[in-house]
Formats: sequence, structure tokens, C-alpha cells
Amino acid sequence: MPEPTVIHNTFVIERSYPTLLEQVFAAFANPARKRRWYAESERHVVEQFEMDFQIGGYERARYRMGDTTPFPGVPLTNVGVFHDIVPGERIVSSSTMSLGDKRVSVSLVTVELLPTDTGTDLIFTHQAAFFEGSGGPQMREQGWQHLFERLARELAH
Amino acid sequence: MADSRVSIDRLFHALGDPTRRSMVEKLSAGPMSASSLAAPLDITLTAVVQHLKVLEECGLVRTEKLGRVRTCSLDPAGLSILDQWIKSCRSLWEERFDRLGEMLAEPEDTK
Repeated sequence: MPEPTVIHNTFVIERSYPTLLEQVFAAFANPARKRRWYAESERHVVEQFEMDFQIGGYERARYRMGDTTPFPGVPLTNVGVFHDIVPGERIVSSSTMSLGDKRVSVSLVTVELLPTDTGTDLIFTHQAAFFEGSGGPQMREQGWQHLFERLARELAH
Repeated sequence: MADSRVSIDRLFHALGDPTRRSMVEKLSAGPMSASSLAAPLDITLTAVVQHLKVLEECGLVRTEKLGRVRTCSLDPAGLSILDQWIKSCRSLWEERFDRLGEMLAEPEDTK
């Protein structure tokens, strides 16, 4: 019997930074700044990162997965578009993620910034549709292994 | 909307039982009939079926009854896989916001 193959998930991350709101916003709006914290990582090589920060503008990124990931050598591609930008307040964008040529997820991302006495509060909301079969057989093996490891740790208490 | 925490709790309940863990371990080698699962565990077929129900409910195992034989196999999709994926997605963003914090904390002249 066919089963639903899309899983919807929402998570929220909140942070407080002891930094002026204008500077936090600039970290999202300026491509060179954004690349540093958003695109660059020890786990992959950045092959492409372009951002056109305006409503209707695109953001494109391509990463080559490194050895510590479940998919060494595989390209991960993000293509996003900005839907709403209120300078100093919020950024709303959507993007797709693909591993190789397999579409993994489509997400809606909202960044809200609030000034506080000590700096800036950030509220990040990520709503996404994840597709069945994403990740392929390697992900499944990793998933099972990881699951049993976690279970073993949990049961050891 | 998928509730990752509920499914993880159900998963732990399912795998918290040593008999069920044994069954999952055996099935990881390939599909088996419910009675083949029961024999080495020295429990009744009824008991096995009860355990299978719990395992099916959290998406670990899939069973199919053909005639009198109930064939059991590990569900290749598995709830846990997408949970893993969602969790790595969240971790990815947590790391990004850590790096953002570090970058913002840098003194002006190094920017």
C-alpha cells in the first residue's frame, strides 16, 4: 500500500549575540561576510557561493562533501531565493537542497532579528519538506549504525 | 507534521526490550517468518506477534501475511533515517550560528 513519502518538519533556533543589530544583519546581507559563517565549514569544500541579496534575488551554493561526512566527494547543492527582506528586521527565503542529482528537501527559512539591551536576539525558523529515499543506501546504513549507537548509550544509563 | 521526539520515544520503547532487540538483530540478516523468529528465542508465536506489533508501530519492521505464514523484514525506509536527516539539518544550522557568533565577536580591524 503506498505510503506518504514527504515528511514535514519545523524547528526553531534562538540565539543572543552581544553585537549591534546592524552588524548582525550585515552578516546576512553581505555575501563575503555570509560566506564565512554560512558556507565555509571544515566538513566540506565550497565550490560555489553567490548571493544576490534582494527580493527575488537568488543564492546559489555548491559544496563538495568531505571525508568526515557520510557522502565523501558528493556535491551538495543549494538554490535559494529571497522572498521578503525588511532591513534590520527579517529575511524570508526558500531553498532546495540536492545531494548529487537527488532532491533531498525544500525549505522555507525565516530570520528575525530583535534589538535587546545587550545586543541582538536572533530567531531562526526552518520549515521543510523532506523527501523519502533521500540520502540513499549509504544514509540508511549510517542511519542504522548511528541509531544503534545512540540506543546503546541511552540504555547504558 | 512529523514529531521527531515522539517517534524517538517509541523507538526507544520498542528497542528497550531485549527480546525485540534480538528480533531486530536477526532480521537485519534478512526476512524471516514469525515462527522462525520464535524458535531460537524460546517464546510462543503469540508473544512474537505481540512484539512484532510494537516494532511495526514505530516503523522498524514490516510484516506480511501470506496464507498461514507471516513474513517479517526490517523496514528499509525506517522512521529513523529521515529523523537522522532532519537532525543533521538542524545541527548544520546550529554550527552555522556558532560560527556567526565567533565571526561577530572578532575585533573591528580584523574584518
